[in-house]
Amino acid sequence: MKKVNIVLALVLGGLVSLSAQAIEQRAWHKEVIGKDCKVCHDNGIKQFPSDQACLQCHDVDDLAEQTARSEEDKWQNPHNNLHYGKDLPCQECHGEHESKKPLCSNCHTFKFDKHKE
Amino acid sequence: MSNVDLLGRRNFIKGMGAAAGIAMAAPAMAVSEKADGVKWDKEVEVLIIGSGFAGLAAAIEATRQGAKDVHIFEKMSYFGGNSAINGGLFAAPGTPMQKKEGVEDSVDRMVSDQLKSGRGIADEALLRHVASHAVEALQMTMDAGAEFHPYLQQLGGHSVARTYQTTVSCGAGITQPLYKECKKLGVHTHNRSKFEGFLVGEKGEVVGVKMRENYHFGEDQPGKVLKIRAKRGVIMATGGFAQNVDLRMAQDPTLTSEVGCTNAPGATGEGMYEMFRLGAIPVHLAHIQSGPWASPDEGGFGYVSNYSIYNFPHSMAINRLTGKRFMNEIADRKTRADAELACRDEKGNALPPILITSYKDSKKHPNTKKVIKYNVGWKFDTIEELAKHFDVPLKPLKAQIEEYNGYVKSGEDKQFGKNMTKAKGKYIEAPFTVVRLWPKVHYCQGGVQVNTKAEVKDSFTGKSIPGLYAAGEVCGGIHGVSRLGSCSIPECMVMGMTAARSIMKA
Repeated sequence: MKKVNIVLALVLGGLVSLSAQAIEQRAWHKEVIGKDCKVCHDNGIKQFPSDQACLQCHDVDDLAEQTARSEEDKWQNPHNNLHYGKDLPCQECHGEHESKKPLCSNCHTFKFDKHKE
Repeated sequence: MSNVDLLGRRNFIKGMGAAAGIAMAAPAMAVSEKADGVKWDKEVEVLIIGSGFAGLAAAIEATRQGAKDVHIFEKMSYFGGNSAINGGLFAAPGTPMQKKEGVEDSVDRMVSDQLKSGRGIADEALLRHVASHAVEALQMTMDAGAEFHPYLQQLGGHSVARTYQTTVSCGAGITQPLYKECKKLGVHTHNRSKFEGFLVGEKGEVVGVKMRENYHFGEDQPGKVLKIRAKRGVIMATGGFAQNVDLRMAQDPTLTSEVGCTNAPGATGEGMYEMFRLGAIPVHLAHIQSGPWASPDEGGFGYVSNYSIYNFPHSMAINRLTGKRFMNEIADRKTRADAELACRDEKGNALPPILITSYKDSKKHPNTKKVIKYNVGWKFDTIEELAKHFDVPLKPLKAQIEEYNGYVKSGEDKQFGKNMTKAKGKYIEAPFTVVRLWPKVHYCQGGVQVNTKAEVKDSFTGKSIPGLYAAGEVCGGIHGVSRLGSCSIPECMVMGMTAARSIMKA
């Protein structure tokens, strides 16, 4: 939570918005990040954000707790899964400006109901 | 039968693959160059490309042999390659569990089983080298924290039970511990790093590589290309090419994009190409294996594959058109995959056969719960229900069960000559569990030629290319026509360790 506040402070602190182009953005991100592309695009606007970008605000341990499943299905937790533990970069399953399916769905039929494609 | 959306992400990936194909064909293509006068961006001691079993084992062994600065480069965003999403099955002869279960086995016996399945073109020296060091490699996984089921399995083509399986029934039960061990040992790991060609010294020796940073698989993004010097040499552990549809179709035109594949999306073979360009000898590229245990009701390896592998010895595979068996359920993979593909309806359309198992036996494997829960396998209380569900003629099916149960009793399968040792006392009885079977592209027996030191031979000079080593599925010719199940993990691990020992001695 602390990190969210820091970013919020930065945004409110008057970072200049770069572009007014209409681009897909999650509503809750709009509130916190606004239109400052550089908050996420830390490798430059034309590059994908680094794998650390989301972690400025999100904590993988917290996420793993939120998406935990029953003991029997514990390894289906996308944020702490059988194949890659907690190391799977966010962008494998989440895209801010495009829809993405969870990596798991390559091979598995189990669902993540709250996953926003 | 099932209204599962199997192809959702697969098609999506396929689309990405097409885009990537175009990007790859662009003129800025990867190619090896002379290192003469190159300005190095970075220098490392041991440079490993690929982070599956072979790459991880090589990194750990190199460190144990005294290397201080070992680096693993992985093109995908995540580590583990295809090794992280397979069955986690490990064959070794003369193991503690074989002793406990009273199984007589030896290096000779394992090699002989593999030679048979290789149909005369396997590499005996390499098979022997791997089998001789398999227990040592198994120990490395256990030392790193890998855990295994407390029982052995007898996989198709193996004359005895010699296969360990991780408790999570997945290769990740090995890659995750090995990866953590690498971290603990101070191995440097780099993801999103795309190998773009070798840098070659005056005598044709590999002195370094070009490596693209910040690589996003299947996306057109210009990451910076670094020139990295490898002081001791380069170990190529880049895996197979089962996901490269163009390349696999060039070898075997039947393996179109419509044929399923169990592999991770990154199994596209660029590392192998690059070694061919350098002069490595291509071996057995057309021998691409399909897994006969896969299911058409889920993508990739999924949950069913391990379910079937575990249950084949005490199950009946049934052709739905006839209600009869059509193969030895534990024949080698090619024999079974070919037999399954021949299961067709009257019009010649694919009619995936079914595998029938007694629930009392199948439930011993953890995946049974999963296949039922996720609707990729089904449980039936009576044979009538089962026959109706799959539209199998009831009378012949009942007769087949009775006949097969006779073989369970006598220990001799007069229909297909199946080894009934592991079926002992396991009669086919209600309630049943059933999955559908349809082969998926799984493993490339072909690749670059290596020797028992993991050195890569040059096709022009006939000598090993200095500074270059290869291990794992990127290598070819070891297994011949058809690799036996659970023989890839020991091969990857042993050859990774071997490459590390060679590079540290060179």
